[in-house]
Amino acid sequence: MDFVFKIAGQAGAGVMITGRMMVKCFTRGGYNVIGYPEYPSLVRGGHNTVQVRISDKQIHSPRHDCDLVIALNKDAIFYHMESMAEGGMIIYDQLIDPSRFKLRPDVRMHALPLSKLTLDVGGTEQMKNTAALGAALAAVDYPFGMLETLIREELARKGEEIIKVNISAAKAGYDFVKSGGISFGKQIKPASDVRKTIVTGNEAIALGAVRGGMKFYAAYPMTPASSILHYLIEKERQFSIIAKQTEDEIAAMNYAIGASFAGARSMVGTSGGGFALMTEALGLAAMSETPIVVALVQRNGPSTGLPTWTEQGDLRMALHASQGDFPRVILAPGDVQEAFFLSAKAHNLAEKYQIPVLILSDKFLSETVFSTERFDQSRVKIERGKLVKGPLPALAPMTRWKRYAITDDGVSERALPGTPNGMHVGTSYEHDETGFSSESFIMRAKQVDKRAAKMKKLLKEMEAPDVFGATEGAEVTLVTWGSMKLPALDALALLETKGIRTRLVSFTHIYPLNPRAVKKALRNSGITVMVENNPTAQFAGLLKEYANVKLDFHMLKYDGRQFFAEQITEEVVKLKEAGFKGQQRIEVIEKEDMEYYNPQRHGL
Amino acid sequence: MVAITDYNVAEKSQWCPGCGNFAIVGALKGALADLQIPQHQAVIVSGIGCSSKLPHYVNTYGFESLHGRGLPAASGIKLANNRLTVIDVGGDGDGYGIGSGHFLHIMRRNYDLTYIVHDNQIYGLTTGQASPTSQLGMKTKTTPYGVVETPFNPLSTAINGGATFVARAFAGDMAHMKEMFKQAIAHRGFALVDVFQPCVTFNKLNTYDFFTKRVYKLETEGHDTTDRMKAIEKAYEQVKTNYERLPIGVFFKEERATYEDTLPQIKEKALVDQPLSGLDISAVYPDME
Repeated sequence: MDFVFKIAGQAGAGVMITGRMMVKCFTRGGYNVIGYPEYPSLVRGGHNTVQVRISDKQIHSPRHDCDLVIALNKDAIFYHMESMAEGGMIIYDQLIDPSRFKLRPDVRMHALPLSKLTLDVGGTEQMKNTAALGAALAAVDYPFGMLETLIREELARKGEEIIKVNISAAKAGYDFVKSGGISFGKQIKPASDVRKTIVTGNEAIALGAVRGGMKFYAAYPMTPASSILHYLIEKERQFSIIAKQTEDEIAAMNYAIGASFAGARSMVGTSGGGFALMTEALGLAAMSETPIVVALVQRNGPSTGLPTWTEQGDLRMALHASQGDFPRVILAPGDVQEAFFLSAKAHNLAEKYQIPVLILSDKFLSETVFSTERFDQSRVKIERGKLVKGPLPALAPMTRWKRYAITDDGVSERALPGTPNGMHVGTSYEHDETGFSSESFIMRAKQVDKRAAKMKKLLKEMEAPDVFGATEGAEVTLVTWGSMKLPALDALALLETKGIRTRLVSFTHIYPLNPRAVKKALRNSGITVMVENNPTAQFAGLLKEYANVKLDFHMLKYDGRQFFAEQITEEVVKLKEAGFKGQQRIEVIEKEDMEYYNPQRHGL
Repeated sequence: MVAITDYNVAEKSQWCPGCGNFAIVGALKGALADLQIPQHQAVIVSGIGCSSKLPHYVNTYGFESLHGRGLPAASGIKLANNRLTVIDVGGDGDGYGIGSGHFLHIMRRNYDLTYIVHDNQIYGLTTGQASPTSQLGMKTKTTPYGVVETPFNPLSTAINGGATFVARAFAGDMAHMKEMFKQAIAHRGFALVDVFQPCVTFNKLNTYDFFTKRVYKLETEGHDTTDRMKAIEKAYEQVKTNYERLPIGVFFKEERATYEDTLPQIKEKALVDQPLSGLDISAVYPDME
């Protein structure tokens, strides 16, 4: 069983909330569920959707085509009528006149008097989405009781009146479909009692950081990273952390570095434009050897770009940001579980090696909600490295502590302000062992070497890529980094049905790269295809640079959406048909010329 | 018992002979000693500039951040460990120019911080360009025909902007300056001390002599530090009198809850003193299932 709903309507119509409710509703029924939102950079007037994919099998990404669309406005019919699965159904508000659209004959259309249904039970126009949610569940015969319980819980704080009218609206939608004999023809019954958690990539990053000992978070609102800030501020008293909205990203980064200098594990979260503003301070963290974690949630650049869509275009920026040479780590989770554990690990690495650590996510992973197991938090161990505990031996008068003592592994002991006899200056200048500014040629070279020496041990902390699918005798090997693991995993299953033995090599530890581990993972891999969500195959470039590995094909997508498994599959099949010959570069662009930002352009 | 000499370092200060910064360091050490603040309990933060080298010359913890970013770094330090005495120092270019955005917002938050601005009305370390507080008409490398931009008024901005202690000192009057620093550090909330600090190399207009002839102490005229409107009027006196009368002393003072006071999570223990590991996150699951 694999079924895809899509709830769609005008921004402000409650599409996002309805989507999340639906994800919960089916997750409670024991299904694997993915709720994937799409929306333009507008608060009102644009087109919003949430796709809810449910399956009794393991699924990893949204599907391109939908089975059942719930259209809250006429735009929703226009936008999604082409991407319906064979024999799909559109349930739409009766106020919409669909006659102007050329619909496929196989798509079934059912009008619902959503306004009337909600108003009749004492509800408001704003509750149409709730009635529609009831209707959608009825169309697949999902028990209404599941929704009723959920509404009760979700609206518990709003009082009995609001709960009652929402349940009535949902029930009205449900009953209308049932009594009208509208049925998709597929019954979805609760499958098991196994209760999973639903979590977005951003929530996983936030929770992983908290479990990893993060005590301080600073950020300036920026899509698609803002939900980390919202989540942490909501929970700051519960977790006893401080989450601060600052006046800009420059402040956020410098607050976090200050807090970390004082001894609190600290993180900032932003997207590319905000990270550009943090760039100078990234170097401050490196020079003063202050641990810092940056959650960089990518969207499409350059500049403001596409604020609400997805891309993996900031890898090179993360790798090279800030002047000078210094060690750093880049991690890129491929799913919500990895987001949780890598976020915790980032804080350990940052503190053990006293360096900046970047977590690269993207809009796709960060804002999509996935059903998953509860995080096995016992696996997270805190490692603080060479942190001085308790008072240090007395210093000679007029001297300071050697915070930046030259060591073999490049890591010096770190005393926090408040530690007796640990006085020193953390500084953005090159410095001697006590932190006093120094332009000595010998000391400069020593400090550069000391910082760089950290890379040796650090390399051992970098895990080899994960390998999925055909471990032996693969005809094709897909290579991904970060979130593109998700559609690639689903593509493995699709390619299996096409008779193409495929392997997936998924990288989460991006930099520094261990050349041996890279080569080992790519041994006997058949035809290699990099699947990357950017226009220039940035990670493939890293593999070439650091492991001297050249991949056969670069499958690239940079139109705003992530890859869908169907698209990867289609391109690999085409490649095989061509005898795996042709241009190294394969561009995948959505076929439909759609935009949610400006429905008027489509005559809507 | 902390002695003033405990704050000494072996390294010689690298400022021009006669620079106002020497007096500022001396007064700051004196204030710290009078207040009996142990070396390890103080953090002196700075940005970049001549004055921002100060943390190197006082034997406490120090953090010399980036140009204009002393205040946000100091804020982070204070939030992470609110038991520390955190003092930010910097110049007029650092704080009122490149860092002005932070200055405005940090005053609104009223962290328990002290901010000392070495206001020499010129860029020193970059060798003599006009600064936000350069006097109208002054010729500098970047204003060969004289400054035409209205000078930034740090005191009126601070009084309007939410600072709860606003004072001015003169580097030529060390005893008075030390007293200002003491009051600022002891004050609970955001305290600004703007210091007239002659730059003997690049500012030939605002010299020791210039200030000595013009400054007078507010307390000698019975200024009421709780009167916000009067304080603003005093802050504009330099404009009104075309720099003929320059008041120093405490302009404005009020008691207001600090930002830290609003955070129950650090009421009992500073963030850095709380355990890092073993925090159970499972309390969040009911909302997610």
